[in-house]
Amino acid sequence: MKYKDYYETLGVPRGASQDEIKKAYRKLARKYHPDVSKMADAEARFKDINEANEVLKDPEKRAAYDQMGSNWKAGQEFSPPPNWDAGFEFRGGRGGAGPFGAASFGGAQDFDASDFFESLFGRRGAASGAPRSRANVQGEDHHAKVLIDLEDSYRGAERSISLRAPVEDADGRIAMQERTLDVHIPRGIRPGQHLRLAGQGAPGTGGARAGDLYLEIDFNPHRLFRVDGSDVYVDVPLAPWEAALGATVDVPTPEGTVQLTIPAGSAAGRKLRLKGRGLPGKNPGDLYAVLAVVPPKADSEAGRAAYENLAKAFPDFRPRAHLQG
Amino acid sequence: MNRAISSALRGSVVEEEVELTIVELVRACRTTEQQVEVWVHEGVLQPSGERREAWRFHGDSLARMRLATRLMQDLEINTAGVALALDLLDRIAELESRLRR
Repeated sequence: MKYKDYYETLGVPRGASQDEIKKAYRKLARKYHPDVSKMADAEARFKDINEANEVLKDPEKRAAYDQMGSNWKAGQEFSPPPNWDAGFEFRGGRGGAGPFGAASFGGAQDFDASDFFESLFGRRGAASGAPRSRANVQGEDHHAKVLIDLEDSYRGAERSISLRAPVEDADGRIAMQERTLDVHIPRGIRPGQHLRLAGQGAPGTGGARAGDLYLEIDFNPHRLFRVDGSDVYVDVPLAPWEAALGATVDVPTPEGTVQLTIPAGSAAGRKLRLKGRGLPGKNPGDLYAVLAVVPPKADSEAGRAAYENLAKAFPDFRPRAHLQG
Repeated sequence: MNRAISSALRGSVVEEEVELTIVELVRACRTTEQQVEVWVHEGVLQPSGERREAWRFHGDSLARMRLATRLMQDLEINTAGVALALDLLDRIAELESRLRR
């Protein structure tokens, strides 16, 4: 297990006041919040920031953490010294759930504390502090994300999904349990949409029904295609003569190659619509071929001659006419 | 996909096939009915139906409500601030989708 330097995570000195810690946390939380940030590692950073804040914002946890000394370096191999927490109130949690079992982690519902945190402060209890002893309580809804390929949406697919969820055993201990579900991905599903699987959330108590499982669907990035809602875009580069004279070119679509007629006089940026060839469904999307024009290099005798002839053929062509005042 | 009858679970696409009651929305988003009411008054959620008991929320409300709940709890922003953040995030999403076209 590696030591975590919570002060370093929040970018504050060890002597920082509670107010400074709060300010630093808020600033970093806004910067790395996964819903706001586009940074690739935002989610991991946000988790670290939350964990650091969870300890440092609480004077008692902070004092306990400080007591381990300031000689540790982030990433150093670490195990808590014996009785490191003697004299602190928070010891004495029930069962396997740690003393801070039902603590709220800044609302990050799926807060997943590091081993380091758990070794110090115990494991967090049931994911959201669900009422345990009451009878007839419907199980909680669970949420997970599923990445699929664009082609899966065109054809429909099946995915095996592994979910980890806290489960309470007969002694009231909370353990993470993994289960696998085979899920049908319906044709035409779009990025950002959710699948609701009734009764696949947490089990209910006292005979009450189980919660539902919500799967948020996202697409892996595709080498050729971009998705916007139910529409799909593909870039189609053309030779200048194809754009000027018109042509029939092979264009890849997620359902296979099609022949596309390029009208004469097409300019770069023109979008040709293939109606109904976007994501399928009740209201199928369209596929757009976005034209680009790629001039060949004049790196041979014949090539240079061709460009020179082109210049001769268009003595009045003034591409920068509009720049003139 | 080759099996004639598949045992894979079939779900409903929330954004297309599901209308949520306030109870379902509260449970799915781990929030409270009072908070949902606040979002309705703020115009962040627009259910159909006059009375609270008759409210039906379009499937899109699920993601929006979860996002609002996360922003409010994680960043300690008040209701008006979250409503503003949601509008700005919508605009960013619109601009980003234009870049993809």
